[in-house]
Amino acid sequence: MAQTVVKIQNLVKRYKELIAVDHFDLDIKQGEVFGLLGPNGSGKTTTINCLLSLLDFDKGEIEIFGEKMTPTNYALKKRVGVISQNVAVYDELTVYENIDYFCGLYITDKETRKKYVDEAIKFVGLEEFTKFRPKKLSGGLLRRLNIACGIAHKPELIILDEPTVAVDPQSRNRILEGILELNAQGATIIYTSHYMEEVEQICSRIAIMDKGKNIALGTKAELKKMIKNTETVSIEMQQPDDDTTEKMSALPHVYDVEYKDGKLYVYCSGGKHNLIRILGVLQQKDIHFGRVYSELPTLNDVFLEITGKQLRDSE
Amino acid sequence: MFRHNFKYDLITTLRVKEVIIWLIIYPIALGTFFKVAFGNIYDNDIKFTAVKTAVVVNSEESGRTFRQIAENMENADDAMFSFVYTDKDDAMKQLEKEDVRGIIFVDDKLSLTVSSNSLKSTMLERFVEKYNLNAKIIGDTASSDPTKIAAVTNALTEEISSIKSEALSQGNTNMYDQYFYNLLGMVALFGTITGLHVATHNQGNLSSLGARKCISPTPKSKTILSCLCATFVVQAICMVISLTFIITVLRVDMGNRLPLVYLTSILAGTVGSSMGFFIGSVGRFGESTKDAICTAVSLLLCFASGLMDASIKQKIAESSFAWFNKVNPAAVICESFFSLNIYKDYTRYIQCVVTMIITTVVFVTLGLIMTRRRKYASL
Repeated sequence: MAQTVVKIQNLVKRYKELIAVDHFDLDIKQGEVFGLLGPNGSGKTTTINCLLSLLDFDKGEIEIFGEKMTPTNYALKKRVGVISQNVAVYDELTVYENIDYFCGLYITDKETRKKYVDEAIKFVGLEEFTKFRPKKLSGGLLRRLNIACGIAHKPELIILDEPTVAVDPQSRNRILEGILELNAQGATIIYTSHYMEEVEQICSRIAIMDKGKNIALGTKAELKKMIKNTETVSIEMQQPDDDTTEKMSALPHVYDVEYKDGKLYVYCSGGKHNLIRILGVLQQKDIHFGRVYSELPTLNDVFLEITGKQLRDSE
Repeated sequence: MFRHNFKYDLITTLRVKEVIIWLIIYPIALGTFFKVAFGNIYDNDIKFTAVKTAVVVNSEESGRTFRQIAENMENADDAMFSFVYTDKDDAMKQLEKEDVRGIIFVDDKLSLTVSSNSLKSTMLERFVEKYNLNAKIIGDTASSDPTKIAAVTNALTEEISSIKSEALSQGNTNMYDQYFYNLLGMVALFGTITGLHVATHNQGNLSSLGARKCISPTPKSKTILSCLCATFVVQAICMVISLTFIITVLRVDMGNRLPLVYLTSILAGTVGSSMGFFIGSVGRFGESTKDAICTAVSLLLCFASGLMDASIKQKIAESSFAWFNKVNPAAVICESFFSLNIYKDYTRYIQCVVTMIITTVVFVTLGLIMTRRRKYASL
C-alpha cells in the first residue's frame, strides 16, 4: 500500500467569526495527483497555508511524510515545493538568478544547484529567457518562472495553488502537461483550482471544498456516481408546447426537462437509449429540431448538484 | 548559504530603482543646488577677509595719526582692514570697480563713502564712528587737562588697534555647511527604503516573497541577517558616493578628519537602514503604506534637524522638546559631522557616535523580535 504523504485530521481555522476551514480531513498517498477543488473563498489556500505551517490554526493535526509539520522542521520543508497563487519572484533578478536564488534556499552544493537550475529552466521551457527580468515576461512565461522557482530543488511533494490563474490556453496546457510529467518522475502533487476542467484533466483523486468543508472526496468516477444526473441531452429547437414537455418528462429515467437559451435540456438519471426515446417523442409530434448533444456529467455538474442542494439549501 | 543569500540580496538591493534615485541621484542634485544657492554667500559675505579700504588723506597732521593706528591694525593677526592710500579720483574708480569696500577721507575728522550696504560696509562705519569719537575725547582732554593727553591717546589707540577677529573654534565655521551635514543625514535616513524591504521581503504576511522564504528550509534568522547586511553595505556605498561628491566635486570643507567623516557617514547609513527595518516590521500595513510612513518619518526628522530651515533646530533646542533632537537620528548625524569639523576634542562626537550605535542596535533588535514570528494568524 502506498505511503501516506499528507495527513490532515480535523483541521479548524477561524478568522474571528468566520470559519475558513471547518473540521477538514485529508489523506493523500504517494504518487497521487490530488485535486483540491472549490470556488474562490472555499478555504483551499487557507488549508494549504496551514499545511505549510505558515498559518496558525485553531484545531487539528497535520503530518507530512509521517512527521508533524512545524515552522522549524527544516528537513521536512526540504522535501516540499510550493507554487503559490501569487507570483513570488524578485523583479530585480533575471530568470536564471531568481531560480538560482530560490533553489539556493534548499540546495547548498553549488554544482548540484547549477544542474538543478538548468534542468528547471529546461523543464518550464524558459531557455531563451534566462537573462530576462520578470517584467519583460508575458503572464504565461511569468507563471512558468514561478513554477520553476518552486520545483527546481526536486521536491517529493509539490503543492500548486491555482497556478494557471490568468494564463493563456497554450501556457495552461503546457503547465498541466508539466505537472503530469513531475508526477511521472515520482512527485506527489496537490493541485488546487476552481477550474473544474483542469482538475478533471489531471487529478487522480479529488476533494471538493465549500465553505471550509470537504463536501465530497473520491476519484472522478466516484464523484460522478454521487449525483443523480448521468446524462444531459440538449436539443436546439423552438420552445415546445406543454404536451411535448409532459411526454418528455414521462419518459423512463428522465427526471427534469427545461427550455433555456434556444435549447431543450432533458436530464436523465441512469438507463440506456435515453437519446433515442427523446428523439422519438419529437418525431411523433413532427417537431423540427437542429443539433442534438448528449453529454455525460462533468465535475461542474457534481459540484453544482452537491453544493446547490445539500449545502446552500440548508443555510 | 549566507554567502548565496547575501550575494543575491546585494544584487537585488542595488537594482532597486528607488535606491539609485533617492540615495544617489537626489542627494547629488540637492547638494549641487545647495552649493549654487549658498556657496557664494559665504565666500562673499560671511567668510571673514580683511576689508580692503581706500584712504584719501586731506590733512597731513591727521593723516600721521591715522597712519600710525592703521599700521597697528594691519599688522595684527586676522586684521580686519587693509588700507590703500591714494587720491580721491583713483579711490572713486576703485570703489566703482568694487576693488575696495569704501573710501575713508582723512581730514580733522574721518568721513566715509561706501558703495553698498553689507556687513563689511557696516564694519567700516563702526570703525570710523569709533575713531571720530576717540579723536573728540582726545581733543576734549587736550583742552581740559593737557597732562593726561598722552595717557588717553595711548589708551584709545590701543583700544582701536586691538580690534581683531577671534577664532571660536578649530575648523570651518561656514554656517552653510550645516545644510550639507543635513543632506548627509537625509541620505542616511532615506536608507529606510532599503531597510523596509528587509522586513517586507522576509515576512510571510507582508509579501508573497516573504511567504516563499518562510516555507523554505532556510531559517528566517539567516535570510533576514543576510538581507540586513546587504542593505547596510548598499547604504554605506550610497553614503560614500554622496560624501565623496560633496567633498571632491562641490568642494565643501568637511574638515581634516576625513577618515572619521567617512566612518561616521557609514554608521549613519546603518542607522537609516535599521530604522526602515524597524518600521517595516511593525504592523500589517502594505508595502506602499510603509514606504509612505518611512518617507514621512524621514522628512519629519530631517525637518526637525534643520534641513529645510536651519532656525527650526534652534527653535526646538529652546523649546520644551529640546530632548527630541538628542535622539532624532537626523539631528544626531548632523551633530556628529559638525562636531568632527568644529571641535578639537572628541567629547561631543563620541556622544553622537554612541547614540547612533545604540539607535541601530535598538532598531535591529526590535525589528528582529517582531519578525521572528514563525506562524501567522492571517496572510
